[in-house]
Amino acid sequence: MAGQERRIDDTMLIREAQRGNRAAFEELVRHYDQAVLRLALHLTGTEQDAQDVYQDAFLKAYKNIGNFRFECSFYTWIYRIVTNLCLDHLRKRNVRKEDAPVAKDPSGGEYDLLDQVPDVRAGANPERDLMRRQLGARISGALEKLTPRERMVFELKHYHGLKLRTVGEILQTTEETAKNTLFRATQKLRGALADMR
Amino acid sequence: MKCEWVRENIVLQVYGELADDARHELEQHVARCADCAAELKAEQEFHALLAQDRAADATPNLVAASRMRLQEALETAKQGSFFSRLAFDPANWLRQVKFSPALASAILIFGFAGGIVTTYKFIPHSTTGIVQGPATVPVQTSIAGIDSISQDPNTNQISIKYKAVSEEQKQGSLNDQDIQQLLLYAAHNNYNSGVRVDSVDLLAKRSGDLQVREALMYALQNDTNPGVRLKSLDALGNYVKDDTNVRDAVLRALVNDDNSGVRIEALRLIEPVKADGSVRGVLMALAAKDQSTYIKSQARTMLAQLPEID
Repeated sequence: MAGQERRIDDTMLIREAQRGNRAAFEELVRHYDQAVLRLALHLTGTEQDAQDVYQDAFLKAYKNIGNFRFECSFYTWIYRIVTNLCLDHLRKRNVRKEDAPVAKDPSGGEYDLLDQVPDVRAGANPERDLMRRQLGARISGALEKLTPRERMVFELKHYHGLKLRTVGEILQTTEETAKNTLFRATQKLRGALADMR
Repeated sequence: MKCEWVRENIVLQVYGELADDARHELEQHVARCADCAAELKAEQEFHALLAQDRAADATPNLVAASRMRLQEALETAKQGSFFSRLAFDPANWLRQVKFSPALASAILIFGFAGGIVTTYKFIPHSTTGIVQGPATVPVQTSIAGIDSISQDPNTNQISIKYKAVSEEQKQGSLNDQDIQQLLLYAAHNNYNSGVRVDSVDLLAKRSGDLQVREALMYALQNDTNPGVRLKSLDALGNYVKDDTNVRDAVLRALVNDDNSGVRIEALRLIEPVKADGSVRGVLMALAAKDQSTYIKSQARTMLAQLPEID
């Protein structure tokens, strides 16, 4: 019942947004934006790029919500927009061959963003934090070796727990293709991280 | 062959994506095959290693900053105009066509098979205009789109490739497959609502056909003309009891349609199935929150007629 009510709420919000009700659209954004930001942040690696993807995705959704025909869920639709933007970002990054995500501190010095991810879990200790950051850096490096498509399928499946059928819908391909892509991605990652096991 | 199948599916097993029968088969094989068992163990260990790396949630500051930035942009952003919603969206249309191979074939036969790809060459500043073209100019042609424009730097000749579509006519009975495919196309795509009403009216006589029923559900959900939507609803009414897809489509119309006539008709059609769980859920939401007093009271009346759920 709760899920169905949420779907009815979203449906009503979408219909209102299609009539030009900006407040309804903003409410709709709040239902999905944290998940969108989490995806963009992990894929792009920087808060600035994640914000840009977030902005572009929801502006695109706002401009095109009149074309939304309820043929899929709004969740799938917005994820499709976000993943396309992230795929563009990954493809541009592959061309530029950027390394690990970095940022600049006020003095102009660069630092690795991965070093800045705070560990707020209970019981964290410095040694384990260091090992976790090193693991994170190695995994991040291995993920860079995947094609953008492989990276996206792996990201959606592994980090966001989506069913491969949903992944296929989001990427506008079949579930079977998503499965094959996941298989290729994990084979490559195992190869890249073989020394860590 | 079996080991190969198992190796390809081990990652799906680890992610819980295998169907029950496939999972059982894999487990049976792994119990007998040491190599595959080792491979499964390696994959599970690798999965456990990866699980230590999580995608961090966005900080509350980042979420708040992103929302504020979006709000500012929305103040000046414009939604797509009324005309852009009516405009033909080739990408969206192609996505619909890909699920309808018969429709795609019909389109090839009747629509785009009638198209002509022609190259015209123009010399700038020439008084003659068209220098070269097709041997004959077809009657009632219209330009469907320009594919490419290029200019030869040596000769300054301009080449334009364009598509032209010619008008054709087909006659036949409702049993004629080609006629049915054209009616389906008309129900989905025609800009003239009168044509869409006519096509839906005719298609309603074949609503037993699943492809036709899908077209009617599509029209109910997406057509901008309430007359078309009402005709589709009428045609689908007989299938609300037996076809859950039709039932869901009628429920969506009841919840979402902006025309009260369509909503009231949808409410009338779901009355015989009001005991269904999903119908009951929608009726409860309408009885609590609907803006239409009539629909709210009708929903309450229907709920009152239902037995209590233990």
